Amino acid sequence: MQNRPSGFGNPWLQLTLSVLCVFVSEFLLKRGATDVAEPDSAFSWTGINGLTSPLVWWAILLIIASFISWLYVLRYIPIAVAYPLSRVVDVLVPLGCWIFLGEFISTLRWCGIALVVIGLALVAKPVAQIEERL
Amino acid sequence: MSFLAFFFIVVSLLSFVVAQLVLKKAMEFSAKSGLHNSRFISLISIGIALMTISFFLTLGLLQRFDLSYLYPFQGLSVMIITLMAAMMLKEKLNLRLTIGALLITAGIVLVSLS
Repeated sequence: MQNRPSGFGNPWLQLTLSVLCVFVSEFLLKRGATDVAEPDSAFSWTGINGLTSPLVWWAILLIIASFISWLYVLRYIPIAVAYPLSRVVDVLVPLGCWIFLGEFISTLRWCGIALVVIGLALVAKPVAQIEERL
Repeated sequence: MSFLAFFFIVVSLLSFVVAQLVLKKAMEFSAKSGLHNSRFISLISIGIALMTISFFLTLGLLQRFDLSYLYPFQGLSVMIITLMAAMMLKEKLNLRLTIGALLITAGIVLVSLS
């Protein structure tokens, strides 16, 4: 983590941006794919007809952006820390579905979300302490 | 589950994990030697090729199985990447990081099973 840039180049900011891009792209993909869905056509199984939705193209742009900032993150943060933290998206997506799409979250799913949050806190806390000392 | 399905799930998971480790290696290398050298370019190409293989294998699997069935295997990637980073990239792993990764893995499996 030597010579770590600050400001926009801060790898922790980039990690956050990468996760946010993936998070937003999931919802754009869901909306875009439903908008242009043609469940009767056998061809639609390939998902290629999704490309007719502009939302899907925005999602693709976000996925590329998240990949670039992820590569940047890998340059500065150990992957044993960065990758587990990036999985916060597995909690954000169901929470977003609950908040924005009104989807139902079962008790078991809430337990899973709680486990991930505790795990994330365990991985992130020593990092926060290292940052404080710098 | 057939042997073939299990085989493709494992290959897709492993190619994703190896891709991440190779990309990490490539970016570490670029931090030292810059972006314009053949070692970096070959590592990053291998990483992207492995990601692509994993992506298409996952698409093929998604056509045959439910997402909720396949997603827990994706959750395992947290544990596998953490362990492989310690073994192959010599990243420091402590008890806290290991328990954290285990809980995240367990949580993802629960979220996708429910």
